[in-house]
Parts: sequence; C-alpha cells; structure tokens
Amino acid sequence: MLNGLDIEGDSLLHRLPVRLKLALLFAAAILLFLTSDLRFLLPALSLALVLLLSTGLGPREAFRRVRFVLFTVLLVALANFLFVSAAEGAAVFCRLAALVLLAAAVTATTGISAFMDEITRLLLPFERLGLVRAADVSLAVGLVIRFVPEILARYGEIAAAHKARGLPVRPLTLLIPLIILTLKDADTIAMAIDARGFRRH
Amino acid sequence: MDIVFSAATMHYAGRVALHPLSLSLCERRIGVVGLNGSGKTTMARMINGLVKPTDGRVTVDGLDTITDEDAARGKTGLIFQNPQHQMILPVLADDIAFGLKNRGLDKVEIESRTQAILERFGIAHLARRRVHELSGGESQLGAIASVLVTGPELLILDEPTNQLDLKNRAMIERTLAALPEQVLVITHDLPLLDGFDRVLVFHEGRLAADERPQTAISAYKRIASC
Ligand SMILES: Nc1ncnc2c1ncn2[C@@H]1O[C@H](COP(=O)(O)OP(=O)(O)OP(=O)(O)O)[C@@H](O)[C@H]1O
Ligand SMILES: [Mg+2]
Repeated sequence: MLNGLDIEGDSLLHRLPVRLKLALLFAAAILLFLTSDLRFLLPALSLALVLLLSTGLGPREAFRRVRFVLFTVLLVALANFLFVSAAEGAAVFCRLAALVLLAAAVTATTGISAFMDEITRLLLPFERLGLVRAADVSLAVGLVIRFVPEILARYGEIAAAHKARGLPVRPLTLLIPLIILTLKDADTIAMAIDARGFRRH
Repeated sequence: MDIVFSAATMHYAGRVALHPLSLSLCERRIGVVGLNGSGKTTMARMINGLVKPTDGRVTVDGLDTITDEDAARGKTGLIFQNPQHQMILPVLADDIAFGLKNRGLDKVEIESRTQAILERFGIAHLARRRVHELSGGESQLGAIASVLVTGPELLILDEPTNQLDLKNRAMIERTLAALPEQVLVITHDLPLLDGFDRVLVFHEGRLAADERPQTAISAYKRIASC
C-alpha cells in the first residue's frame, strides 16, 4: 500500500500529525480485532471508506491502490466463509478491508519523508538501548518504497525478453536474472548512499 | 580547487584497473575520455573517495580521501553513470533533501535550500514526482540538483549525456556551461568537450594523453582506430 504516492490536500487527515495518525490506526486495528459483531464492523468499514474518499483520492484511484490487497482479503474471507461460517467470513472481510482502507487513507495523506522522520523518532528509544540505528531503519523503508516499482518493472522486462525469445515465462526462471541484476544495482546504490554523505557507522 | 593523484593505483582481484597515476587537476573544465573499461569511472570515483586507491593517494584541496574521507567527500559531488541509481528516496524533493539531512541541517534550512535548487534548475514542478517516473533528462537534472544542493566545489559527471535525446543533450550542455562550479566530465560525447580547459585520455588503465581538447581528441581517435 505504501507504494502509492501521497496526494496533496487539506483534509482532516492531511492536517493531523503523523504520529497521531499512526496511533489512531493502531487503536483502530485493536478495536477491529476485539469484536466479530457485524453491527460494529459494517459501520466501521463504511467509515473507513468515507475517510479514504475524504482524502481527495478519486474512487477509481482509491480502488486501484487497494485492489490487490483487497483481493487477498477476499480470499481469506472466503476461506473463513467456507470452513468456519458465513458470519465469520463476513466479519473477517469487514475487519481486514476496513483496516486496508484506513491504512490507505493514512498513506495517501502522509508524505514519505514525514513518515520516515516519524519512524526515526519512534525508534530513538531503541537506538539508545543500542538495538538499532533509527536512521538506518528509516532509510531502509525509503529504499523499499523507492525500488519496489523498479524491481517490478524489471520483472516485466525480463518476462518480455523471455517471450521475445520464445522462452517459457515461469516465475522461478525469471527470478534468477532478476536477483542478479538487482544485486548488481544494489552495489551502485550502496555507493550512491555513501556519496551523499549518509553515515553508516 | 586542486585534486592531486600521487601514484594512485587500483587493483581488482589481481587485475589492474588503474596503473599508478600522478597528476594535479585545478582547471575549471576538465574532460575525461577513453575506450570502455579504460579506467575512467575508477579514476572519477577515486576523487570522491568511493574507490580507495590500493596504493598511492588522492587528495582533494589537500584532504586525503582515505584519512579525511568525510571532509574530502564533502568537497566533491558525483553524478553516476545511471542517474536513477543515485536517487535514493521515492519522491524527488525528498531525495534532494537527503544529502542535506545527512549533514544535520534543520528543517527550515533544508526546505529553503531544496526549493532554491529546484528553481535554479527549472524543475520545481517535478518536486513531488516519483523519481522512477522521471524521464532521462529529468532524472539527470534531478541528480545534478541533488548533488549540487550540498554545495560541493567540484562536480564530477560520469557520462551525463549517455541516454539522452538531442534536445536533452543540448539542455545538459547548456546547464553544464552555466555552472559556476568546477566540473570534471567523463564522456563519449566528444562535442561536449568544446571549450574545455583540459582533456585527459585514458587507455588500458593509463593516462595516454593530457592536452587541450582538440589535441587530446585526436590522440583518442588514434587509439580508437588501432
Ligand atoms: N567493482 C569492480 N570489480 C572488478 N573489476 C572492476 C570493478 N570496477 C571496474 N572494474 C574493472 O576495471 C576496469 C576499468 O573500469 P572502469 O569502470 O573504470 O572503466 P570505464 O573507463 O569507466 O569504462 P566505461 O566507458 O565502459 O564506463 C575494467 O576492466 C573493469 O572491468
Ligand atoms: Mg565508466
């Protein structure tokens, strides 16, 4: 979900501090998991949808961003529907879908650098204990968001190259050239991070 | 600013990428040419301290790139062969701010410097764009902005017009010509070196010629034709 770009705007969610948004998202997750009562979950899902649309993201773009995760949610819900009960399936769907929509709403209204700053701040206590370097973790998050689309695009290119040469396109055979090319770039990117003065020690 | 190579050498697993190189660079516009694999990128990365000489030393404004790594690196900025490889954060403005953040500047200062550099290069409208969606010319400008924003005295560019169309090539040429900073350009695009003060020709890891552009380019053409 994070690979969606934040959109400019002045909605309520845009104005809330990042930390508060993350805390609210966390609280919402706990509440959603405390109950299986549809009288609570259905309104929660509707509210999440309203919040997502209030960010100024059009319905089409909103759907494009969440459809992949929603599809997974649907599969999980379907499994519950078949193997547990219809009510449980519906509850699982509402609960997870509401969470996905809320997370998408937070993502759409939070700039990545604000998000990285917040991660750094949240991790500072752990840094004092000597467990992590906060700046490293936040850079790692930034790098994932930066390069995931690139890696997906490269996967597409390798698949096209296989097709062009009449080779079967099997995910596993594509993985090897993908990994090799990605590692080669990773070296250069690590160098670029040094070149820009990031402290690694 | 003076860049001094003192018998600087580079070996990779027994193979020599750069034979002992001794030279001093202080001109405002320096070009570097040579065949593929002749050691140009290796030499350029040595100035930035990303590649450490296996023997000998390199100093930037008197600072050794090994013992004074951070201070020496702060004086130079490097644009990589593929500008996309040096954009580290997903949104252009954030990526430009990255180098400033690493220097511990405060938020207000970071924002005003980022905005100023975006305007200087006429790319303020790209500030919030995802870097992987930028075109070749836009990436190249973005990369230059992200490096110059921290105020290096020397800008090193590794084949800046490599993947550009004619229009963007001309745009980069104009941009470089207008830079007040000292510039060192590695290129296969020979017309880019018109009006340069000095051109180095590398061949098989050695400095084969070190002349004014016209003479150096003729030497390079001789090397290329044998
Ligand atoms: N990380 C590395 N590991 C091993 N060998 C390397 C490495 N980097 C460069 N080399 C070798 O060092 C030599 C010089 O490479 P360099 O990249 O400096 O050439 P170049 O002049 O920049 O070439 P090009 O015009 O193709 O960019 C080449 O033979 C290359 O294979
Ligand atoms: Mg090179």
